[in-house]
Amino acid sequence: MRNPPTQSPVSSLGERLRAAPSRAAVTAVFESLRPDLLRFAQWLARDRSIAEDIVQEALLRAWRSRDALKDPAAARPWLLTIVRREHARLYERKRLELVCLDDALEVPDPAATAAADPDVLALRHAIMKLPIEYREPLVMQVLGGFSTEEIARELELTATAVLTRLFRARHKLRELCAAGPAAAAAPDAAPQGEPA
Amino acid sequence: MICEDARLAIGANPQAAGAELEEHLRGCAACSAWREQMRQLDGGIRRALAAPPDYTVPRAARATPRWREYALAASVTLAMAAGLAVWLLRPSDSLAREVVAHVKGEPGSWSSTLHVSAGAIDHALKTSGVGLDLTSDRIVYAQSCWFRGHYVPHLVVQTARGPVTVLILRHEQVRAPDEFREGGMSGVIVPAGDGSIAVLTRGSGRVDEVAGELRQEVHWLPEPAGH
Repeated sequence: MRNPPTQSPVSSLGERLRAAPSRAAVTAVFESLRPDLLRFAQWLARDRSIAEDIVQEALLRAWRSRDALKDPAAARPWLLTIVRREHARLYERKRLELVCLDDALEVPDPAATAAADPDVLALRHAIMKLPIEYREPLVMQVLGGFSTEEIARELELTATAVLTRLFRARHKLRELCAAGPAAAAAPDAAPQGEPA
Repeated sequence: MICEDARLAIGANPQAAGAELEEHLRGCAACSAWREQMRQLDGGIRRALAAPPDYTVPRAARATPRWREYALAASVTLAMAAGLAVWLLRPSDSLAREVVAHVKGEPGSWSSTLHVSAGAIDHALKTSGVGLDLTSDRIVYAQSCWFRGHYVPHLVVQTARGPVTVLILRHEQVRAPDEFREGGMSGVIVPAGDGSIAVLTRGSGRVDEVAGELRQEVHWLPEPAGH
């Protein structure tokens, strides 16, 4: 069972693709999904410029193999999967996860956080602090709408291991948020991740 | 379905539904309340992820007075010294407590019955710099888990007396076998080379045989970079 994604612009875009599977239509679909892809990449990489590189590279790869996209309605999960793999590839090459959380969390962008409620803000900080092995399946599930089986296949884990990671991710978020927003935002020595 | 399984399923996906789960929830107020809490948390996570992460002014762009740097360095040194003292002097029973707490955080590990592939076992061990000459068909769960500042192999091994959990703790020393009973589990932490091995089971079963066997079979590989 696929989880409901937070936004699902795919159906109307899919119709456009079916109606006119031209280069222009494919480009339009890719461009429409770009903000979603970028947000997904940003939560994985925790760095805007790296996320932009990842999305750029992913879209390039997707464009080259656009014939593989048989079902236009699957454009979103297909592209998200390519983004995730690109992130994993880049991580292996460059150890991307070594983002300094001290720098990353100390001065939030006022424009981005002014309207946020404190609980959501604390959760955002806590998610940023999750090690990659917990953050990645959580973001895939909640933001990408991937099912447990799809995450397991993608991360080369058993379904039980994915369930455990998702359980622990939420458990850790609860712990961090229960300790108060300051604890969730406080920099610490949490692991910055391991190869995806 | 028992509460442990229901909570794992809900914690992994609060939107999950299934006949078996719903039937359990109808008869279990505690798990129903847990689902409510998890669904609330999930709503928050969705809102949190709805926008990209906040970005920041790079640290280098902000001027820091020099006295603050010295004060920071001094306080970090003091904190590290205090932390080191606490680390060295902490009682071994706190290790057992943390082992049990960690295992309780992965309730699904006990119910696993499928054999783990040799590649997955190898990954869990090598990530932590551990070699283990154990027949892989006895291992039904293998993860590399973050524990006390290091990645450690977390295995569940099937034995004639049921599943036992094994944490191979390369960086934790104990002087002698330390038996414990904690949170509905019993086990032992035995010295092994420069580190130790925690073996535990649910209830009050004996695990010293397994611990003894593992002591013979574990060996330390060169530690992976970054650990």
